[in-house]
Amino acid sequence: MSHFSRRNFLRSSAAGSAVLTFGGLAPSALQAAAEQSKSERILVVIELQGGNDGLNTVIPVGDETYRKLRSKLAIAKNDSLEISDGLAFHSSLRGFADLLEAGRLAVIQGVGYPDPNRSHFESMDIWHTCQRKDENRTDGWLGRLLEQTPDAGVGDPSALHLGHDKQPFAFMSRKVRVPSIRSLEQFHLQGTEDAQFRQAVQELTDARRGDSNDLLNFVQSSTSSAISASERLSSSVKSYSSSVTYPQNGLGEQLQTVAKLISSGLKTSVYYVTLNGFDTHSQQPDAHAGLLRQLGDSVKAFLEDIDQLKHSDRVALMCFSEFGRRVEENASAGTDHGTAGPMFMAGAMVKPGLFGELPSLSNLQDGDLRHHTDFRQVYAAVIQNWFQCEAEPILKGQYNAVDLFATMDKQ
Amino acid sequence: MNMHAAACARNHRLNVILDPDWAWSEFQSTPETTWNIRTAAHLFRRAGFGATQHELTVAVAKTPAAVVDELLTGPELETFQLEMKSLSHAALATGNVKQLSAWWVYRMLSTPMQLLEKTTLFWHGHFATSAEKVADGRLMLTQNELLRAFAFGDFSKLLLAISRDPAMLVYLDSVTNRKSHPNENYAREIMELFCLGEGNYSETDIRELARCFTGWEIRRDEFRFNRYQHDEGEKTILAQTGNFGGEDGVRIVLAQDAAPEFIASKLVRYFVMDEPSPTAALIAPLAKELRNSGMLIQPVLRRIFTSNLFYSPHAVGRKVRSPVELAVGLLRSLEGSTNTFDLAEEMLTLGQGLLYPPSVKGWDGGRTWINSSTLLGRSNLVRTLITNDKTRFGKTTLKQYLATQKVTNPRMVIDYLETVLFAVPIPEAAKAQVEALMKSGNDGSLIEGLHALCTIPEFQLG
Repeated sequence: MSHFSRRNFLRSSAAGSAVLTFGGLAPSALQAAAEQSKSERILVVIELQGGNDGLNTVIPVGDETYRKLRSKLAIAKNDSLEISDGLAFHSSLRGFADLLEAGRLAVIQGVGYPDPNRSHFESMDIWHTCQRKDENRTDGWLGRLLEQTPDAGVGDPSALHLGHDKQPFAFMSRKVRVPSIRSLEQFHLQGTEDAQFRQAVQELTDARRGDSNDLLNFVQSSTSSAISASERLSSSVKSYSSSVTYPQNGLGEQLQTVAKLISSGLKTSVYYVTLNGFDTHSQQPDAHAGLLRQLGDSVKAFLEDIDQLKHSDRVALMCFSEFGRRVEENASAGTDHGTAGPMFMAGAMVKPGLFGELPSLSNLQDGDLRHHTDFRQVYAAVIQNWFQCEAEPILKGQYNAVDLFATMDKQ
Repeated sequence: MNMHAAACARNHRLNVILDPDWAWSEFQSTPETTWNIRTAAHLFRRAGFGATQHELTVAVAKTPAAVVDELLTGPELETFQLEMKSLSHAALATGNVKQLSAWWVYRMLSTPMQLLEKTTLFWHGHFATSAEKVADGRLMLTQNELLRAFAFGDFSKLLLAISRDPAMLVYLDSVTNRKSHPNENYAREIMELFCLGEGNYSETDIRELARCFTGWEIRRDEFRFNRYQHDEGEKTILAQTGNFGGEDGVRIVLAQDAAPEFIASKLVRYFVMDEPSPTAALIAPLAKELRNSGMLIQPVLRRIFTSNLFYSPHAVGRKVRSPVELAVGLLRSLEGSTNTFDLAEEMLTLGQGLLYPPSVKGWDGGRTWINSSTLLGRSNLVRTLITNDKTRFGKTTLKQYLATQKVTNPRMVIDYLETVLFAVPIPEAAKAQVEALMKSGNDGSLIEGLHALCTIPEFQLG
């Protein structure tokens, strides 16, 4: 698709009236598939830690103020991937540009929240909990979402956090426990390479106890399903083959793990991965370019893989960061903590295109962008339109959902 | 044993309401429940982490009450305490708080006073504070020593001390507390999580209690009272009115009937059974004892561990092992030692990082320990532990250790492990299967057998 046709495409989708079709499927077929899998929808969250520089991610290449305030860091138009007049992706975000062209990426601009906090931890906590520090935060928005979604009852975790770092506050819940797994290694019963051992363990745990001890019965059924899930996983990993080449980096590996887990038939509905390093106070260009390449290439590979695995109608992927960065660059070829920034939603069921305007660069507040879309409006879309749950109790307030997901109405 | 007690004991399988008088009366043998090596193992698993075959044999020759008294009074020898102190300081010197977690694992593995350590862990979960946020090993160690010093003691004193504990106040964002902006965080948690439980106070009580704590602050890692920041005005908390300070606030909260009920109920869930939640009627005698003793913990623990309920089928095998209980129990029961830094990390992965509780609410325990990922992780932890080249059993290999115990064939190994490790019997069919697995005869067969046994559902119960 040329830049010209990409612009046309964006215009048509932004109008919101076009019936969107993907992969040659008719809307009615999509609808049937969607109905069937509605309860098995999946959200993948990528947390960009450190505060992603939104202005050098979705770049106002045509804006004079941008060039003036960023004499060292401004990215030239001819070194970027055009999205629309005056707006372009960083050249390292080829993956996102391709996804946008393929109609699988929504860019939500100017996302933030009132009275922005510029501490990493505090701002991250606000994004995770939808609450301020003085509000006695005890749980996170995803934790509250998981409490609303029925337990699949097969012993699979309702959500999984992949990675080494501490569990996201977003998953905190008084009822639901989310496991963190470092790798597939951990989701594998050691010793089962030995057939005799594997068979013995499976039989030992499958046998119903019929005991009066409810706890024992609970542990028995959980163990039995854990072992079958890991077996399912390892057999699907064995049968897992993909012509998709993931980039050789941490995020690529984690997303490939997510793809394997999804294809293994786990009933897990939320996956959470993290990409760290966005706190680019100095020497930003190379570091930022590397991170964006990692992000774009990994997400693109993941969605291609999900397509091939035939789960694309079930999967939506969301990227966020705790804040954007200051409009004006600092003296160390870097940028300091700022406020509003873009969020991304990707997947086959996502309405593609640009949502919202880039906040004005001349009407700043303390040197930072003014947000026009609250992050909870994006969460509201996920909760209501993707998971069909009630958003208000989860978000602790009423927020109008951004219209991010394709509706299945026959037209 | 009177007729009534016999009826209660017999009816345990029916879902009858437990008679509190019977429950907390001194343990009387019944045809089903006698003081033997299995009940002794139950006592050590709950009032500690586990005991070796030898320790169990010695215990069976005494009365349960005598064994409980030993568990409650120890003492720890001074040489042991000095060694632990010096090791904790060495851990601090590394600057890595995780070394302090490893130190605590080591203390659990080597202490002669298991119940003191188990109760310290109870208070750590109760007054949950995470090094993830506090990020200062010295403050974490100070709090850990505080919890241990007061573990069996006067809860009123512990509560007041923890209300001034730097690690706690850092964790709850309460290091400053100015009269113009009273911080409600600690006031809320002391009522909701530390003393009374939800529903036993109002939002107004929280705001008023927060005013009592104004002027309480942490400076240079120490508690101090800043009288210039204290709100001298009149407050009304839980229907009492006066110009209260923080000490008054703690005293008023603790004077509520809900306080001993809340603490006794948590002790029962931690030491006796995960489910069902104890009823108010069942808790009442313990709460009364706690109040009458001036909130001393030790007499209540003695009552619990010498009770009919504790040795009954309502309690035996009615708890899910926590990761700490699982790993430390496995090692202690077989005189094991290992790389405690790695073990502390594994426990963190399984959801119970020492000094790293998941939230101010601590660990919920019970069924929440269990999901696909943790079950596989628990099984893998056992294999990692027994195959780790730093792991020793009785200072030697597992095979040689079992030989010193005169355990020489697969069937004997299974029976031996069942005695020291299992709270509920291993089904006969499972024993036969594991025996077959171990008869393959190669060097790894003992590991395969032990690993298989520790993967079956029965092993998850404590």
